[in-house]
Amino acid sequence: MSIIVDRNTRAIVLGATGEEGSFWTGHMVALGTEVAASITPGKEGARVGSIPVYHSVRRALSALASHESGQHSGSPANAAMLFVPPRFTKDAVFECLDAGIRLIVTVADGIPLHDALQIRAAALQEGAMVIGGNTSGVISPGKAMLGMFPYWISRVYTPGRIGVMTRSGSLTNEVTSMVVKAGFGVSTLVGVGGDPVPGMRFAEVLRLFEQDPETDAVVMIGELGGTMEEEAASLIASKAFSKPLVAFVGGRHAPPGKRMGHAGAIVTGGSGSAMDKMRALADAGALVAERASQVGSLLVQVLSARGH
Amino acid sequence: MKLHEYQAKALFREYGIPVPEGILAASAEEACAAAERTGFPCVIKSQILQGGRGKAGLVRLVHSSEKARNAAHFMFQPEKKVRKVLIEPAVSHVRELYLSFTPDPVSGSHFLLASAEGGVEIETLAREAPEKIHKLHIDSFMGIMPWQARSIAYDLGLEPVQAKAFAAVAESLFALYRDKDAELAEINPLFITADGKAVAADAKIAIDGNALYRQPGFFQAPEDFDSDIEREAAAEGIPYLQFDGDISLMCAGAGLTTAVFDLVIDFGGSVANYLEFGGPNYRKSLRAMELCIKNKPKVILVVTFGTIARADIMAEGIVDAIQRLKPSCPIVTCIRGTGEEKARKILLNAGLEPLTDTEEAVKRAIAHARAASGGNLP
Repeated sequence: MSIIVDRNTRAIVLGATGEEGSFWTGHMVALGTEVAASITPGKEGARVGSIPVYHSVRRALSALASHESGQHSGSPANAAMLFVPPRFTKDAVFECLDAGIRLIVTVADGIPLHDALQIRAAALQEGAMVIGGNTSGVISPGKAMLGMFPYWISRVYTPGRIGVMTRSGSLTNEVTSMVVKAGFGVSTLVGVGGDPVPGMRFAEVLRLFEQDPETDAVVMIGELGGTMEEEAASLIASKAFSKPLVAFVGGRHAPPGKRMGHAGAIVTGGSGSAMDKMRALADAGALVAERASQVGSLLVQVLSARGH
Repeated sequence: MKLHEYQAKALFREYGIPVPEGILAASAEEACAAAERTGFPCVIKSQILQGGRGKAGLVRLVHSSEKARNAAHFMFQPEKKVRKVLIEPAVSHVRELYLSFTPDPVSGSHFLLASAEGGVEIETLAREAPEKIHKLHIDSFMGIMPWQARSIAYDLGLEPVQAKAFAAVAESLFALYRDKDAELAEINPLFITADGKAVAADAKIAIDGNALYRQPGFFQAPEDFDSDIEREAAAEGIPYLQFDGDISLMCAGAGLTTAVFDLVIDFGGSVANYLEFGGPNYRKSLRAMELCIKNKPKVILVVTFGTIARADIMAEGIVDAIQRLKPSCPIVTCIRGTGEEKARKILLNAGLEPLTDTEEAVKRAIAHARAASGGNLP
């Protein structure tokens, strides 16, 4: 089943005509993702591979609806993938929300903070999932993806029953390779992104993994800054998330007040340190890996104890 | 991007937030003259971006010419790296408040924080007496409503005249925060004077770096960087932090670089610099290595596991950089991700060992650093 994205995903892609956009749209399709249309203002009538291009989201959806009336019930697309530069991302997200799309993934790195806040607020108001920015996206290995993942690297992107959620791209490859090395695979990998204001937060992803019968345990790749790891810890403590969770938190030795790496990775006013997060998670009952290399053995330990 | 106090106060004037009449001085002599002109008592405040100015003696209330001279000479000692000081008349006041606007990532709105106990760091107050902080959510579409500013003012126990002055400052500060794409707007302390006026004694503004394209006029001055290398890295758009240890980190990916930093410390090594050339910078191996070499590190450690940042391009770039720059220290490479097979061949051809395990690479780098320091290999 996996979460968020699978073979039932029917996506439109905004910005698929660009270099990066067309490259990764091709790979999304190659992995098995259904991409119904793409949107680039001013380029209606063109094609990306076999995918038709439209000026706007509404035009794309109505064209799809009239071509395929009867074939699909409900909306002709249920997801939007955004390969749109950061300064146009807010506009693109609101265009998708207006057209009724409730799953939006944006990989843009550098969305202005005040735009990100409005995106988050709108997602909450509309009950939509907006994932990102500053992320690689979401992938259910062997099924489908919305984003940019080198899924052909099988020592990372092997299908299986472990959910992964992360604030980092590079570190995700590193940690997930440890999951696969330990003999597991991935049900869905969700990159919530490295920005200070992500559209979707760890605790919200955990609620989806909790409901997913094909996910046995979750690996969380966190880092210093913000409060997402603490929110995940609260969810575990309240039993709203009951599956095993193995957490890795980067930035244990980061100097306070300096932004280390991601925009969201900064300790401010004595809160948000990696150590505090690890303590909160351990207190709530999560297994905490000091180093990425320990994630695999912790998974083995907790899953064999549960008889998996 | 943090603004200096004097820059933030210039914005305050633009937005009608009352501030003391200040004079900016660039030397001890200028500062003394400015203090004479202002009269006593006055406040001399170093214009540096680091926090903790008060504790470091870089903000002083002075009551005489002699005290002013001492303070100014103290602040302009070369090692303090103070280039400007702001001289303001001391403002007599009856109340000392706190006011700020910051983002709330959870709800996608803004926080208005206020306290009747200004002058204390808000973090300290949050830890020791959180009940003294008044908090409101400000809708990110609607902005601040007059009733919100008003209700906070009365919650702070202000008299009607004072409350009106406070509310006006709160509304103006929010307008500035929103218009200028700020990630922080803070007044601490905000004075209430005997005649019921509100005056911003301090001003903290940080502008969102991602919004600078639509905020012309804000840029980081060269003297605001701690080192020349940090300034050069920033000009190149390469994330960089200066340390003073042995191992130069030249890694790709923010999360991975941070994890490598942790491992180096865990395994007993020390970091010369944190440099991350992933994402949009993965073709900048040459520039990245140039920056690293300036630290005269004992070893350069390259760890990557990239998606968009292609392994083969980075391996090529590193081999090219080594040929051009001829670094005198060893290079440890652990380059994985998209294009890793090709990368492996490129590294082998250049006589570099393509490691695949991050921890092994870190341990290797530490061993090189120890050997270079004349220590024994572990």
